[in-house]
Amino acid sequence: MEPIIVTEHLSKSYRGHILAVNRVSFEVYKGEIFGFLGPNGAGKSTTIHMLTTIIRPTGGKARVCGFEAIREPHLVRKNVGFVSQDIAVDEALTGRENLALQGRFYHLRTDVILHRVQELLALVDLTDRADHLVSTYSGGMRKRLDIAEGLIHRPSVLFLDEPTLGLDIQTRHRIWEYVKKLREEQGITIFLTTHYMDEADSLCDRIAIIDHGQIVALGPPGNLKECIGGDLLSIKLVPGRWDENALQRDIASLPGVEKVSPGPDGSFSLIVQKGESAAPGILAALGEMGLEIQSISLKRPSLDDVFLYFTGRELRDEGADNFHRTNIALRRARSQ
Amino acid sequence: MKVFIADTWWVCWRELKHLQRQKIRIMLSLAQPIVWLALMGNLYQRIATIPGFPAPTYLDYMAPGIVIMVTLFGGVFGGMSVVWDRRLGFLQKMLASPVSRSSIVAGKMLSIAVQNGLQALLIFGLALAMGANFSAGPVGVFPLILLVTLLSMVFAGLSLALGAVLTSHEAMIAVTNFFTMPLMFTSSAMMPLEMMPHWLSRLARWNPLTYAIDPMRELFLHGWNAISIVQGVVVLTLAAAVAAVLATNLFKGHFT
Repeated sequence: MEPIIVTEHLSKSYRGHILAVNRVSFEVYKGEIFGFLGPNGAGKSTTIHMLTTIIRPTGGKARVCGFEAIREPHLVRKNVGFVSQDIAVDEALTGRENLALQGRFYHLRTDVILHRVQELLALVDLTDRADHLVSTYSGGMRKRLDIAEGLIHRPSVLFLDEPTLGLDIQTRHRIWEYVKKLREEQGITIFLTTHYMDEADSLCDRIAIIDHGQIVALGPPGNLKECIGGDLLSIKLVPGRWDENALQRDIASLPGVEKVSPGPDGSFSLIVQKGESAAPGILAALGEMGLEIQSISLKRPSLDDVFLYFTGRELRDEGADNFHRTNIALRRARSQ
Repeated sequence: MKVFIADTWWVCWRELKHLQRQKIRIMLSLAQPIVWLALMGNLYQRIATIPGFPAPTYLDYMAPGIVIMVTLFGGVFGGMSVVWDRRLGFLQKMLASPVSRSSIVAGKMLSIAVQNGLQALLIFGLALAMGANFSAGPVGVFPLILLVTLLSMVFAGLSLALGAVLTSHEAMIAVTNFFTMPLMFTSSAMMPLEMMPHWLSRLARWNPLTYAIDPMRELFLHGWNAISIVQGVVVLTLAAAVAAVLATNLFKGHFT
């Protein structure tokens, strides 16, 4: 597979000490949908901004579409499209004007612009509303227009920074459809960032999990889930007089159990091979030990668990919601 | 160069479209100078009777001052659009595209110059209708508008430089307000240099506003004064160029 983005120890520090991105190295192959998954502040946007030449790396190298991001930013810019997480469409212009202006920024010829604007409006189903002011558009329509703008110059790589941030579920699914369509029909390589697990899971061919500016895991979603090594069985025991350490050792020796970690209030998290068939045996064995079980749950590992496994933390969304609220307030302020 | 001009035009086009679609801005920009002309012309009417005052009526003296005031206020808030563009992500979008960085500054400066030029033309017409005297005759309107557009570029450039550094519009408003009125009062916009305290008139000689007002006032009160016009145009062109280079460099330094 031919790499279209290659980074080597790519880093960005602010004011000399805050390391937003810390020596990140990875490759993105031509035609794939590659996802950067991580919590807010992990360095996802900073990486995208370096690859799109909006900010200059403070260390390492990045090659995008065969050009050096640091030395040949103008050549990179011509070959990549960038859709920021802000839904940066101009409300005072119509959809058509927004697209055409973007074409001007990419120095396209007038006849090419006219043709592509028509084509892109159809692609994102905005032909009917093309000549209405964007201030009358819904959030989903704006995002679609925004994505279309990133495609005006037919880039080989499209960067989507949090493409569905703050959109409702239906709109999110619709955006996913467009992204898949773009890859299938136009063969565009797509690099996206997200902190939604389901989004990374259903869209991406490969995912890099990024935390505190570093890649902690990289691979297809399926492989990452396999890293965990089995299914997740949680057991909560009725409080009794048993020794936690001894019990942990006993459970670990049961057939099918790969790993046991004790939790609070008599709960244990188990990683189990072939969970569905192994669970009854484990429960029976616990019963024989004279232990009373309060509740159990069995599930296949999700990317949440993968994230927890690699970072020791859960991926939370609180920050994102605050961020999103600020953005909405700003947009309102502008439209008044 | 061709690319620079095209980029500048499209950045400017967007700003002018905003203006065109915000009817309230157009209406206020018409109403404001009328209010000022009426208020100030009447309020300071009797100043003209002070011995040594250089104009027969305060309106004659003040008309160019109002043009300058409106230009100054229009120019100094020019950087606000950058702060907004950054907040809304539009600036990043432009920076990710091949648009030249200097065009972003130049385009915004140009749009403000066009806006202020049109507004100045209008105030000029109003002042004449209210009875102000314009000695230079109809052709004198060309140097007048040239001076206005150059002056607005000076302040738009400085404001854009500020906008490249400051990320909040609150900070932007605070800094701008802090400087605007002192700029106004340390120039000859409202009082002739000869009637100011000595230290103030020395300060006024360093104020770019003075270099726009003096030749304009000559055009109103005495007719053509080539030296004064050339001096004004040269000083303001240099100042605008310095402001533009400063803003462009701050942009580059701040974003790449």
